[in-house]
Amino acid sequence: MIQVENLTKRYGQHLAVDSISFTVETGEILGFLGPNGAGKSTTMNILTGYISATEGQALINGIDILEQPEEAKKMIGYLPEFPPLYGDMTVSEYLDFVSDIKGITGANRKKNMEKIMDLVKIGDVRGRMIKNLSKGYKQRVGLAQSLLGNPEVLILDEPTVGLDPKQIIEIRNLIKDLGKDHTIILSSHILPEVSAVCERVIIINKGKIVASDTPDNLSRGLGNSSRLNLRIAGQEKSVLKAIQELHGIIHLESLGVREPGTVDVMVEADPNVDLRRPLFHAMARASYPILMMKSMDMTLEDIFLQVTTQEKEVR
Amino acid sequence: MLAILKKELNTYFKSMTGYIFMASLLFFVGLFFVLTNLMRMSPQYNSVLSNITFVFMLIVPILTMRLMAEEAKQKTDQLLLTSPISLPKIVIGKYLGAVSVLLLTLMITFIYPLILSTMGTVNWGEVFGGYIGFFLFGSALIAVGLFISSLTDNQVIAAVATFTVLLLFWFIDAIISSLPADQTSGLIFAAILAAAIAFVFYTATRNWYISGGIFLLGVLAVAAGYFIKPSIYSGLIAKVLSWFSLLSRYQDFSLGIFSISPIVYYISFSSVFVYLTVRMLEKKRWS
Repeated sequence: MIQVENLTKRYGQHLAVDSISFTVETGEILGFLGPNGAGKSTTMNILTGYISATEGQALINGIDILEQPEEAKKMIGYLPEFPPLYGDMTVSEYLDFVSDIKGITGANRKKNMEKIMDLVKIGDVRGRMIKNLSKGYKQRVGLAQSLLGNPEVLILDEPTVGLDPKQIIEIRNLIKDLGKDHTIILSSHILPEVSAVCERVIIINKGKIVASDTPDNLSRGLGNSSRLNLRIAGQEKSVLKAIQELHGIIHLESLGVREPGTVDVMVEADPNVDLRRPLFHAMARASYPILMMKSMDMTLEDIFLQVTTQEKEVR
Repeated sequence: MLAILKKELNTYFKSMTGYIFMASLLFFVGLFFVLTNLMRMSPQYNSVLSNITFVFMLIVPILTMRLMAEEAKQKTDQLLLTSPISLPKIVIGKYLGAVSVLLLTLMITFIYPLILSTMGTVNWGEVFGGYIGFFLFGSALIAVGLFISSLTDNQVIAAVATFTVLLLFWFIDAIISSLPADQTSGLIFAAILAAAIAFVFYTATRNWYISGGIFLLGVLAVAAGYFIKPSIYSGLIAKVLSWFSLLSRYQDFSLGIFSISPIVYYISFSSVFVYLTVRMLEKKRWS
């Protein structure tokens, strides 16, 4: 559906996007991750035809966005980083105007608008001036704008910014639903969001793709050990000694006393060894009750930090 | 294009700008109507219109400062440029929006010649000619304002710059008449022009060889022209500057002379600036 080949954007001497290539299949939800200034928005702006690439090309459904912009733009709904709203229009005037410039005509126009207002829950503010709306509502009006005309491709730049936690969950579910019959690219720096919504994640840093995989594969591929976080009632020294005797332990570390009479321990083990049962039996034998046991999988946060700070190629 | 035009008109009359523009123009037309037509008992309505040209130049920025600058500032240009509508259509839609406000205002002022006709004989051909001239003259100024608005994302800067440029247009006839008209100064002017063109080329291409070549070519052409027919350089500066003399073209209309060349001039002048606006926005996307 979307093909990006060697996309490069240069601002004078500054290289904002450095020959990025990727494809997005029809019906896929792709997450774009990266620190601020990594080139996420620039890439999205090129994909939607707002700015031109210095080199490379972007194809939407086989149509070059630079060569046949009007054809390609018909298939894209875009929510930029700052929702492009006219403050002195009411919500329904604004959506009317967007329908106009998107060339939506006919009997379905009104129905389409109503459906979208329902979907993003802005029906109750339709008569209000946009400049008087809260950030959350503005964001949702922006989202509504991108959905008008039911485009096949949705490009959403940080769609949940400014929303409260309940709205965030609603919008995420909405995006998941939309993902069933839309191709979606979504950028975010909220990592749980990306892992909750996206089927595939591309992490970019300094204009380059540093990682690209499913969220699960990313966390699995990077973790080269399995870690457990434990809280055990007992003397620190004797507890550590008892754990040390187990097989397959790579690293053992006391995290100190957080609760009187107990000790917090971090155990790093060989990924092929499941330590939880042996640990339980060992502690039971020594009568040190285990108060807490938590598996410390590598989260997307860890991966993100690792790939964006160490500049290590992850595959 | 119609959608953009509709939106522009909406914005003009939702914010105060449209009303302020109309109010100030109507006030001054009314004032000059009372002063020149009623008080002096003159049936010459066109003198009102030509008196109003200066006021009009002052208030054109009200109409044009917002057009492109505000879109860039509020980032709503992102919506326009990513929707399936071509850039020329966006720009022309906006231009027509501003022009329609002018047209609307002029239509309201048509009351005055009607009032005049109840009290005396009005030369309708002359009045219509004056109106057509004023409308075309105004449209040309609006095109300049539109272009300047596309250069910045600050409305105030756009307004002040437009104001300055229009003022320069106002004084250009006076400037022309006091410029040297001898052949040497024309020659120097032509050489400077060649250098300027070469410089524009350099900023566009960043290529010293091409722009240097263009400069040399230009100088050679200027020199060749001098040896073949030196008379073309006498009064050259005035000739070139008079291309920008919007006001002198308006004189014909207000005198009741209806000729085709000023009409063509105003329409091409406007088209050039609308085109430059499109180019400017296009360039922003590439930089």
